[in-house]
Amino acid sequence: MLEEYGRILIAAALTWILFVSVDIFWRLPQKGGVSGAKAIGDLIARRGGNRNGGWMMGNIVSSPDASAGTLLAACGVFVAGIPGGIAAALLVFIGNRICHDPGFAGTTGALIATAVITLSTQFGFIPSDFIVGTVIAILTIQGLSLTKASHLLGRLWRWRA
Amino acid sequence: MESLIAAFICLLIAVYGAIRAVAEQETLTRLPFINVMNFGIAGTIVLLLPHPLTLVAAAAYFIGSTLEANAIASAYAKRGGT
Repeated sequence: MLEEYGRILIAAALTWILFVSVDIFWRLPQKGGVSGAKAIGDLIARRGGNRNGGWMMGNIVSSPDASAGTLLAACGVFVAGIPGGIAAALLVFIGNRICHDPGFAGTTGALIATAVITLSTQFGFIPSDFIVGTVIAILTIQGLSLTKASHLLGRLWRWRA
Repeated sequence: MESLIAAFICLLIAVYGAIRAVAEQETLTRLPFINVMNFGIAGTIVLLLPHPLTLVAAAAYFIGSTLEANAIASAYAKRGGT
């Protein structure tokens, strides 16, 4: 029982690092991709948050990004192994195209997550750890404090830019 | 049965996201909490029904809800309100 909670926490940390670095690599905090994402970022900035971090959060809301890719890849590996992860990457790519997004962040996120999850099953993890891990990771970014999360993302973005 | 704990945590986080969204005052800042709820529900769907077709259902739910959030945010941005 305790072992499962430990695995879930490690999986949450891994997925957090994975999707935040993929999103920042694809320059999600640089601008609000669509008008809605820009408006969310501007509102978070008006409340005392960081504008770039806010834009990244707006982009996560408005289009399936690397976090969605990670979640669906974990689901795919959970139900059907590596082919499931690749099918999830394809579904995320289709979703990106529907949302007027080039789809690089979501698709690369899903493919990298498939590789990481498959590899980690060698070390005693099970794919369901990564499903709940991704949900916990997105909770820390979008669900606790919008302004604090935006400052953290903004700081990481300054380091990249 | 191990994944039952995982499904329970996902559902708990989804309910938390829903409560935060209702408590939030402005529509645009409700959307990140709705996003947390969508992640939780998509995870719960797959954890409760482990079948390859469930992946398609979860992806359809998740991408559809993202598209909705996108539409709501764009509509509010165009209107100029919050």
